[in-house]
Amino acid sequence: MKKTDVSRRHFSLLAGTLAAARIPLTAAGPLTAQEVVARIQTNLGAESSANSTDGFKAGDPSTPVKGIATTAMATIDVLKRASAGGANLVITYEPTFFGRQDGPTPPPPPPSSPPPGGSNRPSPRMFIGLAADDPVYTAKKELIEKSGLVVYRMRDGWQSRKDNEMTTGLAESLGWTKYRVKPDDVLYDIPKATAEETVAYIRKKLNLRGGLRAVGDRKATVRRVLLYPGTMTPTTMWQRYEETDLIVAGEVREWENTHYAADIFTVGEKRGLITIGRVVSEDPGMRACAAWLKTVVKEVPTQWVTVGDLYWRAA
Amino acid sequence: MTGREVVELIKQHVGVPWNENSYRDTFKLGNPDSTVKGIATTVMVTFDMLKRANQAGLNMVISHEDTFWNDRDETKDLTANHLYKTKTEYVLKNDMIIWRIHDHMHAMRPDFTVVGSLRSVGVKGGEDSIMRPRVLTIPETTFGEFASQVKRLTGSRAFRCVGNPDAKVSRILLGPGYATPKMTADADVVIGGEQQEADGGFDDVEYVADAASLGMPKGLIMLGHVISEQPGMEDLAKWMATFIKDVPIKFVPAEEPFWT
Repeated sequence: MKKTDVSRRHFSLLAGTLAAARIPLTAAGPLTAQEVVARIQTNLGAESSANSTDGFKAGDPSTPVKGIATTAMATIDVLKRASAGGANLVITYEPTFFGRQDGPTPPPPPPSSPPPGGSNRPSPRMFIGLAADDPVYTAKKELIEKSGLVVYRMRDGWQSRKDNEMTTGLAESLGWTKYRVKPDDVLYDIPKATAEETVAYIRKKLNLRGGLRAVGDRKATVRRVLLYPGTMTPTTMWQRYEETDLIVAGEVREWENTHYAADIFTVGEKRGLITIGRVVSEDPGMRACAAWLKTVVKEVPTQWVTVGDLYWRAA
Repeated sequence: MTGREVVELIKQHVGVPWNENSYRDTFKLGNPDSTVKGIATTVMVTFDMLKRANQAGLNMVISHEDTFWNDRDETKDLTANHLYKTKTEYVLKNDMIIWRIHDHMHAMRPDFTVVGSLRSVGVKGGEDSIMRPRVLTIPETTFGEFASQVKRLTGSRAFRCVGNPDAKVSRILLGPGYATPKMTADADVVIGGEQQEADGGFDDVEYVADAASLGMPKGLIMLGHVISEQPGMEDLAKWMATFIKDVPIKFVPAEEPFWT
């Protein structure tokens, strides 16, 4: 009984505080998703380029925002957890609707002339595009709308900041912040361990399931690590591999960077390459984004919703 | 028989018009007019594979993929690269020849990379497959069981799966290498080699994860590039042996590069 009374009293106090806090907001009107994004853009201070894929992807931008969630990729699982956590504006680094187009696209037209090498070539429509009546697309869009969610993609904007936190965010998740070799670079001198031990450590810290794959000598000693969230090109690898014992990247192309790492292993150099998955590598950077957003948007709570490792391995 | 003569015979038998503009299907290293003692086919001309081919007396390597770690085999940024020097010197010192066949393999009927990949994962009925993914049906099983079968049959240590292992599946859509097809309504499982994970032409990973969240029986298997396209290079060797009889032709596999 007594406990209930205390709770009630506590509740009314809380409610009073909230009501008081709302007064200036009410005067200015509710903060809409559009206004949050405008404020983000002002604070990022970067011009958005014409080619940018940033923008609202689903939901009504005039929706009053109750809470914000940042994520590396707005999967259905992420959207549900964001909504359950009280957020209705979801800011995602990667697409929501299964590709760069981020929505239904007309199928590519058939080729106007037979391709060289005969007519055996697959049509692009087997690899790209999304039908407007696709069942996963329509169900996801409906889920977003029915839940009153608004989804905004912010990749270029977040990348454009002078203090790019995609790498430092990943380092923080790995507990390596203090090991950074120099500011503005992506090298970290971690406590010495074998490649195998380092892989086990990374898997545990990032809570990985099946996405991590390693190339190189398992027993090689790792000290200097290059962190590279997202996609690493071969050129970057050729330029920087020699500086490191280990590259930890999001993804690479296997016939390019993986092939290079395999050849480096064959000639006896003790360097390794680990890919942890593009989205997994970008996950921590969006936690950093949530922390930054809290300094820019103070009227509503901001949370980070992790995507996690979407892969598993066969038994 | 010279390397150039071997390639001429392939051009005569490939069954499709030769595209001279292909930047992929060209000589990459070595003297095309050197005498061929033996031919090795492989999916990826890794340094390790090169050494094994050389030790087996096979001085011409026909690789499906690149030599210099980029699709176009551009070398202008590599002239000072020590691995480039080492690999190049090894090939030249041993009078080896590297030639790539990629685009024309995918234009052939059948496309051995598709045929071999389907066979390697135990999916029957793909013996005439071309590089146009089509759905093949297997007896109904769970996605997890099917993935275990793929592991047993391929011996792969590192392939990745997305989707609900308990989903009932029977309709398989496979495209090897980087030609991972997009999931369609008439397929339960998509099998590919690799694919950009997000922000591409179609992101299978997110699509299949979301389909699984919606309770739809969908699965994705990313075999890895080598595991996915390797088996077809054995078919290529057998096919070449039907019209090249003067020198030995052997399939020399590249190793799956990953550990986990």
